[in-house]
Amino acid sequence: MSTMTYATPKPLSRRSFLQSTAAAGAALTLPSAAWAQAEGQLLVWLPGGSDMFCKIHTGLLESFSAKAALGSATTVCGLGQDAEFTQALIGSITAGNPPDISMLWDSPVSLGAQGAFMPLDDMMKGSKIPIETWPAGLLSSCQFKGVTYGLPVTAGVYSMWYNEELFEAKGIPSDRASFPKTWTELRKLSKEFTEWDGDTLKVAGFMPNRVAETMAIWSALNGGMLFDEANLKYVLDSEQNIEMMNFFVDWFDEEYKGDVNLIDRSSNFRDGYPDANTGMGPAFREGRQAGMQSGSWLMGDIYADPVPVFTRWNLAPNPYGPSGTASVSGTWPNWFVIPVGSKNAQAAFDYLSYLAVEGSVDWYQQIPDVPTNSQVKLKAPTGLVEKRGQEFADDLTAFLGTQAEIVTPMWNSPVQSFGNDQVARAIEKIYTKAQSVKEALAEAQAASQAELERVLAG
Amino acid sequence: MGLSAQHNKAGAVLPPRRLARAGRGEARAGFLFALPWMVGLTIFTIVPLLLTFYIAQTKFQIVGPPKYVGFANYEAMWTDPAVWTSAGNTMFFAAVSVPIKLVMALGLALLLNRIAALSGFYRTVFYLPFLMPAVAGSIVFMLLLTPDAGPVNIALEALGFNPPDWLLDPKAALWTIILLSLWPLGVETLVFLGGLQNIPKDVSEAADLDSPRGWHKLLWITIPMISPMILFNLVIGIIYSFQIFTQALVVGGTTGKPAEATLMYVVVLYRTAFRYFNVGYAAAMATVLFVGVLLLTLLIFRTARSWVHYEGESR
Repeated sequence: MSTMTYATPKPLSRRSFLQSTAAAGAALTLPSAAWAQAEGQLLVWLPGGSDMFCKIHTGLLESFSAKAALGSATTVCGLGQDAEFTQALIGSITAGNPPDISMLWDSPVSLGAQGAFMPLDDMMKGSKIPIETWPAGLLSSCQFKGVTYGLPVTAGVYSMWYNEELFEAKGIPSDRASFPKTWTELRKLSKEFTEWDGDTLKVAGFMPNRVAETMAIWSALNGGMLFDEANLKYVLDSEQNIEMMNFFVDWFDEEYKGDVNLIDRSSNFRDGYPDANTGMGPAFREGRQAGMQSGSWLMGDIYADPVPVFTRWNLAPNPYGPSGTASVSGTWPNWFVIPVGSKNAQAAFDYLSYLAVEGSVDWYQQIPDVPTNSQVKLKAPTGLVEKRGQEFADDLTAFLGTQAEIVTPMWNSPVQSFGNDQVARAIEKIYTKAQSVKEALAEAQAASQAELERVLAG
Repeated sequence: MGLSAQHNKAGAVLPPRRLARAGRGEARAGFLFALPWMVGLTIFTIVPLLLTFYIAQTKFQIVGPPKYVGFANYEAMWTDPAVWTSAGNTMFFAAVSVPIKLVMALGLALLLNRIAALSGFYRTVFYLPFLMPAVAGSIVFMLLLTPDAGPVNIALEALGFNPPDWLLDPKAALWTIILLSLWPLGVETLVFLGGLQNIPKDVSEAADLDSPRGWHKLLWITIPMISPMILFNLVIGIIYSFQIFTQALVVGGTTGKPAEATLMYVVVLYRTAFRYFNVGYAAAMATVLFVGVLLLTLLIFRTARSWVHYEGESR
């Protein structure tokens, strides 16, 4: 009869194995506790941006930290842009371990209204940055039902950019005062430049707007709005907005063959940067576009790759539409918020005050995001002074200051991203002729209003 | 061998009490070894699945507690154009891409099965695209398909064709996504190749003797013999195609550019949850997708009885 022997693996029993696994697991979780934000420190989060952007903000926090004698201060850069960054921020808030203060590149209204950010109104009273030192149009991008959930410390200010050299080559006056005041004048001027070679757009004048984020400015230029903050109501299919889109489509059909694909396969005529998907353009820097609407941040990037083929460009106020009466401007702010659960809320607010008044001067000199607090004394960006001289840089800085004073309310909906996506959808449907102006705007209106009511329902 | 004792494999006889004790010990050890997997399955699959069903019946904006709303999210889905547009695009994508992918993978496997020299090399080459991250692959394709400067259109124009605006034209964009999805064929091909190499030689030779026509053998011998692999690739293909996300997001963003042509169901689900922070609604969308794919899979399994043949099976 054979016998059976059982192997006895002495070196590690199952019990020891399980015990050691548990110990290893516990050891691995310990460092996460060490990373948790503690009192006496200041942790600042930034969305994406260039290395220079991160360096500037690290320097600003270090300066403030030295002045305020903080224990430690850390700037975390490059946590992702747009949705990724917001996800990370919300994740940290719900986990109870948020940064003390964070920059946002999307309106704080939506998340603020849901209770993600601390109301700042009480802290602002009697502080260095009381509410009356902020332009109302800009501040509305942070307010919901009278509560302020963040501050637009600096902002890219939208205005019309134009190539002075192209103007002069056609014998058209290139000074700011001579720039078209109305859409009709702009459209007439645009024709002077536009050249087609078969189905290729060689040179364009100005383009009717196709950018969803700036549609609120164009609507205001035509006497309308996209979101009625006072009555908490979307008005995307208002008469002014239908008139605006009809004007654009008519212009587009007449001057640009009514085909977005022909334009998009010719170059990037939408903004001053290379197209993210195709790498084409930008036509403006290539000297193939007379002008466009863009934010002031382009002043910091325009001399980077691809270097413009011309030297002289200038800025002018946005022209107004058939139902408009005056020029208005718009912004894309750099908002700062103090998340709920911040361990050092007061220190965070003090840093916010510092950034808004002192820090933003240094910031603007290196990256031309315009400081928005009325107490700031602007100094021209050093890069621009080097390229175009002190006089031009000072003139442009003064111009942007005046534009910041006529900012139309935007970014102020509690369902901002949803509404913006609906506007983008409508624009695409209209320009690709998939829907009429009325149909597309009515659909966008219905969807945005339904989402707004769902969120407001509590 | 008596009733009260059993032989082990080596022929040793264990008394019933020791056998029972050893069996319990084995079972305990087996359970302990399976425990980490069961814990993982519970925490990372079953609990989230149940939570999804629950959250789908709430209004949940991530910040703040969920509020029970019953079937309101499902009702809202009926009137949401984005849901219908994306569901239509996704179903079209699945209906077109899965059959094409299966046919191409089978064709490739048939070729690889005939190649004797460098077969390992070819298998590796065809599997490699599967290893490339979908984001990187999509970006490479986007650069290749750039309207004017892209090498594909330059080549097509040189050959006298009028190339499409692959990713700009709403009529072409969804087909471009389908094209992108066909690129990594490695897994399906290897599954088919495994099936082809398991076809007994005598059956194959008998088929060659019976009919000199290759397609007869393919239709009546090869395909029935690899039908379990076709079923496997079909089910996995359907499940994956309904979950298409990465290529669609890279190409069309969260709005499905151009003009919602590339807007897929899971992209809408993602943007609802992580752009609009309407997690309750996104969970309802996820539940509908889960149930839809489950029903479709069950339907395929039900019909499979008539066209899938297993070795040794008699009917």
